[in-house]
This record gives sequence, C-alpha cells and structure tokens, in this order.
Amino acid sequence: MSRVRPVAALVVSALFFVPLYLVLANVFKQGDLIAKSPASLPMPPTISNIHAVLTRPDGLFWVSLTNSMVVTLLSILVLTVLSAMLGHYLARSSKRWTKVLTLILLAGLMIPPQVILIPITDVLRITHTMATLQGLILFNVGYYVPFGVFVFTGFIRSVPVELEEAALLDGASRMQVFWRVVFPLLRPATASVLIFLGVWIWNDFIDPLIILGPSQGTTITTGIYRSIGQYQADLGSVFALMFLATLPVLIFYLALQKQFVKGLTGGATKG
Amino acid sequence: MAADIADAPAPPRTGRPRPAHGRNRKPILPRVWHFASFGAPGVLIYLCFVMAPILISFWYSLTNYNPFNPPIKFVGFENYVLLFSDEQFLTALKITTILTLIVVIVPNLLGLGVALLLDRKGWLYNALRSVFFTPVILSSVVVSIVWSRLLDDQGPLNELLRALGVASPPGWLSDPDLAIYSVASIVCWQQLGFCVVVYLAGLQGVPTELLEAAEIDGAGPWRRFRAVTWPLLAPSLTINTVVLLISAFKTYDYVKVITNGGPGSGATATIAFDVLQTGFDSNHVGYASAMAVLMLVIVAVVTTIVLNFLRRREVDL
Repeated sequence: MSRVRPVAALVVSALFFVPLYLVLANVFKQGDLIAKSPASLPMPPTISNIHAVLTRPDGLFWVSLTNSMVVTLLSILVLTVLSAMLGHYLARSSKRWTKVLTLILLAGLMIPPQVILIPITDVLRITHTMATLQGLILFNVGYYVPFGVFVFTGFIRSVPVELEEAALLDGASRMQVFWRVVFPLLRPATASVLIFLGVWIWNDFIDPLIILGPSQGTTITTGIYRSIGQYQADLGSVFALMFLATLPVLIFYLALQKQFVKGLTGGATKG
Repeated sequence: MAADIADAPAPPRTGRPRPAHGRNRKPILPRVWHFASFGAPGVLIYLCFVMAPILISFWYSLTNYNPFNPPIKFVGFENYVLLFSDEQFLTALKITTILTLIVVIVPNLLGLGVALLLDRKGWLYNALRSVFFTPVILSSVVVSIVWSRLLDDQGPLNELLRALGVASPPGWLSDPDLAIYSVASIVCWQQLGFCVVVYLAGLQGVPTELLEAAEIDGAGPWRRFRAVTWPLLAPSLTINTVVLLISAFKTYDYVKVITNGGPGSGATATIAFDVLQTGFDSNHVGYASAMAVLMLVIVAVVTTIVLNFLRRREVDL
C-alpha cells in the first residue's frame, strides 16, 4: 500500500509533464530534427536555436523583452502604490458610499477585457497614448486596480487603527503614517499583489495585442505570437524564444515560491 | 521596497489626551482630504479606463457604429434582438458554454484527486507539486503553441498512436467536432495546478484529530473523505469554481493562437473571440459591443448565482 502512492504520483506527474518536456527537449535540438522526431532527447544538444534568437537582426527578442520589462515593472509599481492607498481609504472609512465604491471596484474582478477593449482604443486615442507603452500601462493600472484593492483592503482592516492614531498624535502627517507605519506591516499583501500582477501582466496577450497594435512594437507574448507566422520552417527558434520568454517569470517564481503559494491560498484557508 | 522604510511602528502613547471628537465623528475636512489624496487617484484611473469604456460600449451597442461606414445611427436595442437570431452568435454561445463547463468541472475534479495524491510530506511530493504548478505561471501563448505541436495531425501524439497500430488517428485540432474539446483539454491542463495548490492548502486545514476520531469510530477511507475532508474543503471548492468560471468564460488566447476560431466556420470561436473579430476585423463596432455587453451581463449573473450558492453551501456544511 505504501508503495502505491509514490508510484501513482510519479506516473501521473510524468504524464502531466510531457508538454513541458517537449519544450525543454526541442530548445536544445537541431531545427530539422524537431519536425522529424519531436519527442526524442536532444542528442547531441545544441545552443544554436538560443543563439539564433538572441542574435536576430531585427532584435525581436531584446525589443520584446525590454517592452515587457518596462510595462510589467511600471504597472506593478504604480498598481501597488495606488491600490494600497485606495485600500487604506476603503478600509478606514465607514461611510455608506464607500461600501458602494467597494462594490463597484470588486465588480471589476470579473469584467472581461472584451467589454473594455473596443472603446478603450478611442479613450487612448483621445489621450494620445494609443499604440504606446504608456497607454498599455494606464490600461493595466485601471484594469488590475480592483485586484490590488481586494487584497490590500482586507489586509489593512487587520492592522489596528490605534497604531495610526498614536502616530498621528505624535505629529506625523497621514501620508507619513501610511508609508512609515502601515505600509511596512502590509508586506505579505504587497508580496501577493506584486507576484500575481507581475505574472499576469507579463503573460498578458490580448491587451498588448490590441493596444500596442500590429506595427507598434511587441511584448514577449505578442512577439512569440508574431514569430510563429514568420518562422514556420524554423521551429527551433520558436521553442528557443518561448524558453527565453518564460525564463524571467520562472526565475521569479522559483525565487518567491513560498510567497507564491501563500498568496494563492491565503483566501482558501481563511474561507 | 518596503524594507527601505523604517520598520518600527511608533509606540502608542497613553499619556496624552485623546482629541475631543471620537473616532466615528471625524470632522469633514480630513475626510475629504483622505479621499482626495488616498482614494481619488486609483478611483479616477479605474473610472477612466474601465467604467467609462463600459458605458461607451453600452452606448455603441445601441448604434450601428462602424468607423468605415459613417454616420452613426441610433438603433435602440436592435443589435440585441439581432443577436438572438444570429446563428454565429448562438454557436459561439454554445461553444463558450461547453468550454466553460469542461474547464470548471475537470480541473476541479482532477485537481482534488492530484491534491489527495500529493498530500504528503517529503521532497518527492514537493517536487511533484512544482511540476503541477509550473503551467500556471506559463503564458497561455506558450502553452497554446506547445500543445498545437503536440496535437498536430503529424505530431508526436498521433505518431505514437500510429506506432500503436491506430490506422487513422483523430485530427485533434483539425476535426471541427473534436477541436473544441481539444482546446478545452489544453485549458484544463494549464489550470489544473492552480486547483491542486488551492486544494492542498485546504487539506492542510483539515485537523488530523478529526480524521483519527472518524477512523476509531470505524469509518473507512471513503466515509472519512465524504464526512470529514470534503465538507472542510468547501472554501477551496468555492475559490476554484469562481476563478475558473470567470477565466473560462473569457477564453480568447488559446482560440486565437491554436485554431484562430476554426477549423471550418467557427468550430472553436468563443464569444470573447467573436467580439474582437466582429469589432476589429469586420469593424461592426456597434454589433460587437452588443455582444460584449451581453457577455458581461452573463458573466455577472452566472458568477453571482454560483458564488451565492457556494457560499450558502459553506455555511450549511
């Protein structure tokens, strides 16, 4: 009986792992072998695919990487600041209209981007940010603020008001109290927000596809999407591009694995 | 970032008198200032980039707006009426429903199974948990490309089937009747890890004493699961179901990358896919907006009903 569980677990996991194996094997395989024997081990291994992607004359990988980095980092930075402060307002104000405001914001958690994407192109054109990274960042901030607020509001409620009142009496301004007393206590919530939004925005496909438009630069995901059209013959490069595109988020995940799972399950155990 | 800021909270002082007004009756000015400085920036950007576009969408949906075919004419609810006799939309609605049902049910069930299997301590189980969680952090574009290679008519899966003696293995993605189930399976594969992790966390909250007590009372493994574990997993079920429901209903990326709505005429075209196709490729913005608004209404209504049902179930258990 005690042998059954590890064996079953291994078999199920191995089956589940097959697609991931396919990526890993083909990244290091000669291009012509990929089409012929996609499932074989990469023998002898080659880094020519990765080299080809890194040295593409149009710099697709580097441009996409830079764009994704800029968009993701700026978006999560602004989102953390704005949603932590908005969360503080909602958690500390007990007026009836803040309850309405909270509901309106939480409704944002289930709004499909399709409802926004058609008119957003007009809104962004008015603000002259259509097809720019700024436009995409503004959209991201608006679209993901509900998630940040959802995480922060709940957390701030658990921070005693007395702490803030004491600091206020000591002569600190509300801003100082928030950033120097409250915010440092919100670290687990901040970690959740940074991790989740970081991964979501990095992997986001539909929004950069529409907002950056067909010609105006690519992020990592839209870059991969465009490359499958061009590279039909060169599967090795597609696999290498996917591997390189995933590497940053994979490292981010492995480094923060504990917080990742904690953030994901915070709600599940609280109920 | 947080580490740069002084860590020590100011110690509460007791010596000074409290301000004359109580906590509940703050003067109006600080309250307005609190909103203006803390609340307003976030609210403003949300209103501009989410709420206003939704209102504009609703307005478009009442017109025949097409940027290449002016002038704009107000048509009332005509677009909505048209939708309910539009074969293409009704097919998209059916496909979205099938996809959503599969993606809500399958990862939930399999995720529970895998979580029960991996609910042990030790490096092996830790490593296997990571295997299941990795797809969750991958981009849907990457997942789509890998799986379309795997399920290609000449791909590894069919090669394997041929080697095993299947003369004409199914066209997983090229058969219009099969394609939507293949796409749904791919989504399930990516979402499974999320359910596993949420259920594993739920399982940690099941007190061992309760399970032991049930065992002493003579309950078998199935009875222990049914009477002790499963009721305590109710919050995990709620989270998984609601998250999967919301994300499955707006499935777009997989369809766009794997099949581009095909094969044939819209065999895998979800509503989310149709909205953007109609709005941006055919430029029928008014009609596409009506679809989008209807989509929002369906998501909102279904999610609210399901959430209320599951929450009430949590309380009852």
